[in-house]
Amino acid sequence: MKGIIFTEFLEMVESQFGYGMVDTLLTNSDLPSKGIYTSVGTYSHREMVNLVANLGIITQTPSSELLRTFGRYLFSSFTKHYHHFIEKAPDAFTLLGSIHNYIHVEVHKLYPDAELPHFSIEHPQPNVLIMNYTSSRKMADLALGLIEGTLEYFNEKAQIDQQLLNTDGSIVKFIITKE
Amino acid sequence: MERLEMLNRRIERERNARKHAEAILEEKALELYKANEQLRQLNETLENELGQRINELYISENRYREVIESAQDIIYTISPTGHFTFVNSYVESILGYSESEIIGKFFIEIIEHSHRKNLIDFYTAMVQQKQKSTYSEFPVLHKNGTVVWVGQTVRLIQHEDKIIELVAVARDITKTKLVQENLLTTQARLTTLITNFQQGMLVEDENRRIILVNQLFCDIFNIPAPPQALIGMDCSQSAEQSKYLFQNPDQFVIRIEEVLREQKNVIDEELPMIDGRTLKRDYIPIFLDNKYQGHLWNYKDITEDFNIRERIRKSEEKYRGIMNNMELGLLEVDNDQIIIRAYDRFCELLGYTEDELIGKCAPDLFLPKDFAEVLEINQAKRATGAASSYELQLVRKDGAKIWVLISGAPILDEHGNVVGSMGIHYDITARKRLEQELAQANMRAEKARQAEKQFLANMSHEIRTPLNAIIGMSHLMFDTRPTKQQLEYIEILKTSADFLHSLISDILDMAKIEAGRIEVQKHSFDLVGLLRSTQRMFQLKLQNRPIELDLMIDARISGNYSGDDLLLNQILHNLIGNAEKFTENGSINITAKVKKEENDIIWIEFKIADTGVGISQDKLELIFQKFKQVNLQGHKHKGSGLGLAITKQLVELQGGTITVKSQEGEGSTFTVLIPYQKIESEMFSETLEIHPASPSLEGSKILVVEDNLMNQKYISSLLTKWKIDFMIASDGIEAVNEVKKQLFDIILMDIQMPNMDGYEATIKIRNTKNLNQNTPIIALTASAMLDKKNKTKMVGMDDFITKPFAPNQLLNVLNQYIKIVNWPEHHQALNTTKASLDRKRLQELYGNDKEYAADMFKTFLSDVLPDFAHLQSLLNQQDWASLSKLAHKLKPTLGMVGLTDLESKMLHLETNVTQNPDSESLQGLLNTVQEELEDNILILKKELETLIST
Repeated sequence: MKGIIFTEFLEMVESQFGYGMVDTLLTNSDLPSKGIYTSVGTYSHREMVNLVANLGIITQTPSSELLRTFGRYLFSSFTKHYHHFIEKAPDAFTLLGSIHNYIHVEVHKLYPDAELPHFSIEHPQPNVLIMNYTSSRKMADLALGLIEGTLEYFNEKAQIDQQLLNTDGSIVKFIITKE
Repeated sequence: MERLEMLNRRIERERNARKHAEAILEEKALELYKANEQLRQLNETLENELGQRINELYISENRYREVIESAQDIIYTISPTGHFTFVNSYVESILGYSESEIIGKFFIEIIEHSHRKNLIDFYTAMVQQKQKSTYSEFPVLHKNGTVVWVGQTVRLIQHEDKIIELVAVARDITKTKLVQENLLTTQARLTTLITNFQQGMLVEDENRRIILVNQLFCDIFNIPAPPQALIGMDCSQSAEQSKYLFQNPDQFVIRIEEVLREQKNVIDEELPMIDGRTLKRDYIPIFLDNKYQGHLWNYKDITEDFNIRERIRKSEEKYRGIMNNMELGLLEVDNDQIIIRAYDRFCELLGYTEDELIGKCAPDLFLPKDFAEVLEINQAKRATGAASSYELQLVRKDGAKIWVLISGAPILDEHGNVVGSMGIHYDITARKRLEQELAQANMRAEKARQAEKQFLANMSHEIRTPLNAIIGMSHLMFDTRPTKQQLEYIEILKTSADFLHSLISDILDMAKIEAGRIEVQKHSFDLVGLLRSTQRMFQLKLQNRPIELDLMIDARISGNYSGDDLLLNQILHNLIGNAEKFTENGSINITAKVKKEENDIIWIEFKIADTGVGISQDKLELIFQKFKQVNLQGHKHKGSGLGLAITKQLVELQGGTITVKSQEGEGSTFTVLIPYQKIESEMFSETLEIHPASPSLEGSKILVVEDNLMNQKYISSLLTKWKIDFMIASDGIEAVNEVKKQLFDIILMDIQMPNMDGYEATIKIRNTKNLNQNTPIIALTASAMLDKKNKTKMVGMDDFITKPFAPNQLLNVLNQYIKIVNWPEHHQALNTTKASLDRKRLQELYGNDKEYAADMFKTFLSDVLPDFAHLQSLLNQQDWASLSKLAHKLKPTLGMVGLTDLESKMLHLETNVTQNPDSESLQGLLNTVQEELEDNILILKKELETLIST
């Protein structure tokens, strides 16, 4: 997993809970990298799972909620760092629809080692966008947060239905219906 | 503290993260450098490769361009909308348009109009159905308007399912197309020809399948199906199927198989059919490059031809039979006279068999050399296509000669060329023999006739000569102052002699009329005298018979008339003699009256009417026919039966007519109408009185050539009476001697004389140098034959007198020929014109050389003078060229003897002849010249004498 996810996560924790929480998490979590993250580095996604799990334990918050929140935070962070991608899209659906064929393609060019989830897009109706999430990381909640962050960014409101298409949560369908 | 530791941990972490990040960045920077390096290298490689590729592409493009440009096809691209986008330059040589003219053009614009719609449809379909490639042929319009046929392949160029353009290769196939069209036309023609051929035609391929067949073929073989339906059918069983149509079915099948096996042309095979028809068949195998491609059968219904030929053959047999049985021998030869065919009769004629003759040269075999020319002449006619008949002898095989009449005609081939000749020989040996006998008989007859003629001539001469003397003497007796009684006797003597003379003349006349040689002579005669004399003669004859002979003459008839008095005398004698014969008693009335007058021609009608027995109406038409005597039974008078026939012919000879009216038992009237010319001036009237000679004749000198003593005496009495000097020569030889001695004014020449006759003597006188070469010679002949008269002219005599002649006849002739040479005038002229010689000129010419002058004068008188006479004859002949030449030649000789005046007259004559020949004016000139010359002859003679004596 790219270092930026870890650094942004720790930033979010520091901003919400103070560096003490960050220090706790880094100290207590089993982290092969010893918690030394740089945005340009690449680290095992297990460290992220551990960090989120430990944060959940500490804060008594379900990890799914934590990931969803982090997703929203992450998207706002993206708007700062990668605004040239985002600004091109006129609305949320366009941006969401272009993730797999455009954004991820460009990400791969920058980070050939990045492991990215797979999205297939359906556009059955003008106001409905269906995104099928497939990833061995099983971080559909992060994706949901990102979707919500996107809608927020474009100041659009939509109903998001999340359907698990298998038990382990590696395949999830998001049905986004604009209001 | 804890906070410090945490901060320390944080710093530691931050520091570690920084170092980690720096390490990563270091690594990334290196990676980047390497990647950059690789990229640069890659770029370089790529650039190189690109350059190379571009170069290759350029070469390749050039190659392709070259290929396209040099292609012998039009290569072009065209947009899907049909507009040219590219074309190679070859287009110009095919269509005349340059590349720039073509590009951008809508393709249909250059397509020939009639093909435009089809082509649009074709290529629209291609584009719509996205056919990858198509081929089509169509005519294109050349820039100059001519049509060029192209065949083109078009390919679609597509990209991502979209048609970008079309690429086409178009080839000029005009020639191919033309060949194709010609081939099609030829095929169509041949098919039409064969189909419409007026003979049954069947064309099969090598597998015996029908390619072509026509209606006539179906008709001949009774095939009900239409010809088109048979095409493609198998013929291998057809012979078997149709064999029953033929008289020999199996042979028909066998022969077809044989013909098909041999594959050789078979022409004109005749096939008799069971229905009586006859077919003629041709088989022609068809080969292409020595490969058998099928064959053609040609059947023709020649039933009609066959029948005609049969008829011809039979007819030929018939005529051959006829020819062989006829007496005509037929022989056919070619142009080299080689025998091609000899018919039976010909072989029989010459004793050869046909085999012995064929191939031989006909003339070599049986033509005698004497006749080679005859054959040659006639065969030459053959070459021009002319037929001819001729007779010649041929030699038989046994050597005997036969005469044949050959009718030869050329044999022509179908182009009209002479390829030989056909001769029809008819044996005329017997006829020829007869002909020869006849010819001999004829020759004998001719000899006899000649002898008879000679006898007649001799007899007339023998009788006339003494008669001449009798008549002549009787004339002389009038001058012996006879008593009245003697005078009467002399009259009767003379009349009888005349009568006898006329009788002889009658006999001669008959002969002359028969020979068509009688000539009407024109004399001036006293018609009234003739009539009265006739009356008197018959009155004497009828003295003791109760017949009155009356003569009534129209008062208008008087004086002299020009005509043939002898013929009239004969006519009257015949008619009156007849009247007297057939009249027992009663009267004979002779009347003469002027019937009509036309200018100087007076038609005199003589009527002799008797009261005799008359002639029955049915006999009237016969009486003028020869030997048709209208004798009354038992009548005492008989004759030759020629009298009236002669009379009629004598009348008609003079341009007159004779008619007869008669009543049996009451008498006959003969009416004769004859034209005469009235003579106004009284010339030398022929009366019984002897005229005195004109003074001009006195002093003339005459040579009389006569062997008969009585005639000599008669003529000399007359000449003495007329005081004319004469000399007598008793034959031709004496005469020729005399003419050398002296110049005569006239020569009277008897014809029949011993030693040398008159003709020969005349020829000698005229053609040898003597003084009398140009002296007039008058023939004295007892022969009245016209041919004798002509002969006198031919030998050079000037005129003739028929014996016996009256004194005045002789006098007339003398006057006519002697008057030009007038002695008394000469003497006069001698005196008056003595000074007419150009003395000055003579002095210039001869000076004092008298001998020379004498020589010249002598030559002129003896040699040159006779030439002047020729002037007249040349003028008569109107031979201007010779006349001019002679005048020119004579002119200077006049000057030589001092006749300068005559010389200039001769020059005048010469000039006139050359410039304006006119008989009349020239005659005038010539007369002057002749007269003047004559006037001068004595002067010249005198001068010569003077010259010699001094």
